[in-house]
Formats: sequence, structure tokens, C-alpha cells
Amino acid sequence: RHVQKLKINVYHSFHASLMEASCLELALEGERLCKVGDYSGGVSFFEAAIQVGTEDLQVLSAIYSQLGNAYFHLHNYTKALEFHHHDLTLTRTMGDLLGEAKASGNLGNTLKALGRFDEAVVFCQRHLDISKDAGDKMGQARALYNFGNVYHAKGKNACTNDSEPGNFPEEVSTALAKAAEYYEGNLCIVKELGDRAAQGRTCGNLGNTHYLLGNFRSAVSSHQQRLLIAKEFGDRPAERRAYCNLGNAYIFLGEFDKAAEHYKRALQLARQLKDRAVEAQTCYSLGNTYTLLQDYERAIDYHLKHLIIAQDLNDRIGEGRACWSLGNAHTALGNHDQAMQFAERHLEISKETGDRSGELTARM
Amino acid sequence: DCQSGTVPSSQTLRSDHLEMEPETMETKSLTDYFNRMHMDAIMGKR
Repeated sequence: RHVQKLKINVYHSFHASLMEASCLELALEGERLCKVGDYSGGVSFFEAAIQVGTEDLQVLSAIYSQLGNAYFHLHNYTKALEFHHHDLTLTRTMGDLLGEAKASGNLGNTLKALGRFDEAVVFCQRHLDISKDAGDKMGQARALYNFGNVYHAKGKNACTNDSEPGNFPEEVSTALAKAAEYYEGNLCIVKELGDRAAQGRTCGNLGNTHYLLGNFRSAVSSHQQRLLIAKEFGDRPAERRAYCNLGNAYIFLGEFDKAAEHYKRALQLARQLKDRAVEAQTCYSLGNTYTLLQDYERAIDYHLKHLIIAQDLNDRIGEGRACWSLGNAHTALGNHDQAMQFAERHLEISKETGDRSGELTARM
Repeated sequence: DCQSGTVPSSQTLRSDHLEMEPETMETKSLTDYFNRMHMDAIMGKR
């Protein structure tokens, strides 16, 4: 009987270690796939790892966390929320404070993406509190950055379509001012830590917050700082973002030549990065800038480039916008037949996309 | 005249397209955990 019991024990322990090995192996493959940007593949492996199961709660916490992050990158925020919540519950059960701080940070970001700003703030605060108690400066900085992002999104979300930067309702300005405050708090810490990459990110978002608050000179200064850091790292997507944001700010400063210059650099980078959607957006911005400069030939050139990409990408809203802009530019040049053709195409697309205001504009 | 009724005003020509920086998600690395376990096992055998 004793031998029989021993055999059963050996079998159980062998089975458990096999299960652990298999679960970890699957999860490691999921992690590898996520690292190379294959989040869908990563999700499959993490889900399989959960099916196999593990008795190691640290491994399970990491799987929940990474699965939540994979869904976040796939823009499936409901699933992301589900797994970050599982992670939070698990870390609280284990009494793992550092793990809880991380789960809270991820929940804050996910709730922000879902537009649930008040709940997001609660988790950002938890992330900040635990990091402060642990004397974790990096954690504090990250929590402050997340806080800034939540207030920025809250402010932007409350903006009405026809409101101008710097001229928003009080609720919006208050949220944006808080965002700026948190970004400044983050910058104090990351500068002290010498974390240039984090500094770059914060400068970019602080620049956008200044832009919305109507502080266009401060926006330019923050975006120039972001550009400098992006160049230090050879981070071309960040460089492109900075050029585009600088273009936006120069438009509001009435410095249209400078805006065009910056949008052109953004366009070059978008082409190098083979990002067609961004290329289309930048052509649209350039078309508008040349309209402001009353150089309608160039405006038409860029709006046509935008139109072609929008058609390639099957972006009917973009196509409608391009037609509307082309109609206006041709009107300004006195090309009434062409203006009418584009206005008719704009009307047709507005009807199709259910764009009521576009339809009304087109009929005018 | 770019301010005329037919050509949009500077207000409608402004860009709403703000380029935000990416969110920073917190990560719990399994590779690090696995390497630590492996090291512990080696140290234990010694």
C-alpha cells in the first residue's frame, strides 16, 4: 500500500511539474510574440497557458497582466479591463504591493481609454500611493504621467466640436490645467532620474495640453524639447509626432510658413515609416496650410494627394473632406466647373456616411 | 480671399489632429522571472 501511495505521489508531483513547465513555456512564447508586436498571437498563447493552469501565483499574475496589455494594444479595452482586474484581485490576495501598484497603473490607463475618467483617477492614485510608500521614484513618475493622460483625455472629451483652443468651458480648462500640473510633477522626477525617454514622452503630451489651453508659445517650446529628445534616440515616429504638433501650434500663432515647413518634415517621415494614414493626415494639414497662405495651386496638390490615399485606404470620411477642400480651393481659383464636381462628390459621400453637417455644407 | 463665404475660415482649417505620446503600460516579465528561477535552481544545486 505504501509503494502504491508513493507511486501516486510521484505521479502527482510529476504531473504538477509538467503542468508548470508547459504553462510557463506557453506564456513565455506569448511574451515573445507580444515583444515583436504580434499581440493576437500573444493572446492565443497566454489563453492556452491559462487553460493549462499553474499553481505559481506570480506566474499567473504576470500572465493576467500581459494578457491585459495585449488586449489594450489590440484596442479591446473591455477584455483588457477584465484581465487587469483579475491581476489586481490576485495581487491583493497575495499581499504583493508592487504587483498591485502595477495592476492599478494598467487599470488607470484602461479605464481612461474607456472614457471612465473618475474611476481611472482612483487607480492612478493607488499606483501613486504605493509607489510613494515604497520610495519608488520611477513608479511615482509613471503614475503622474498616467494621471496627466487621464486629465488630458477628460478635458479633451468634454470639448465641444466648435470650441477653440484657449476658449473652452471651465470644466475643460480645469481638467487640462490639472493635466499640465501632473506632467510638470512627472518632469521634476524624470529629470532628477535622468530618464530622457520618459522626459520626451511627457514633453510631447504637455505640449498638446498647452496647445489646448491656448498657450501656443509654451506648446512650441515643449514640442521642440520633445523633438530634440526624439532625435537623440533616433526615434523617428516620435520625431514625426513632434513635427506635426509643432505645425499645429504654428497655425494658431499665425506663422503659416513655419507650419508648412514642419508639416513637410512630418510628411517625409510618414513616408519613410510607410504610414499611409498619417501621410494622408499630413497632406490634409498641408493642403489647409497652403489655403491659409492663399497658395491654392499647392493646396490643391496636397488635397489631391490626400484624396488618393483616402481612396486607397477606403476612408470615405477622409475622401469627403478632401473633396470639400478641393471644391473650396477651385472656387477660390475661379474654376467653377471643377469646384462643382468636387462639391457634388462631397455631397454624395456625406449622404453615404450620414454626415449631416457635411451634407448641409455641401448643399450650400 | 480665404475669409470669403466659399473658402473655409482659419477656424475650420486648424488641425484637430493632436499626436499624443503612447501610454506606458506596467509590465510583469516572465522572462525575468524564469531566469531568476533558473539562477536560484543553479545556486541551490551548488
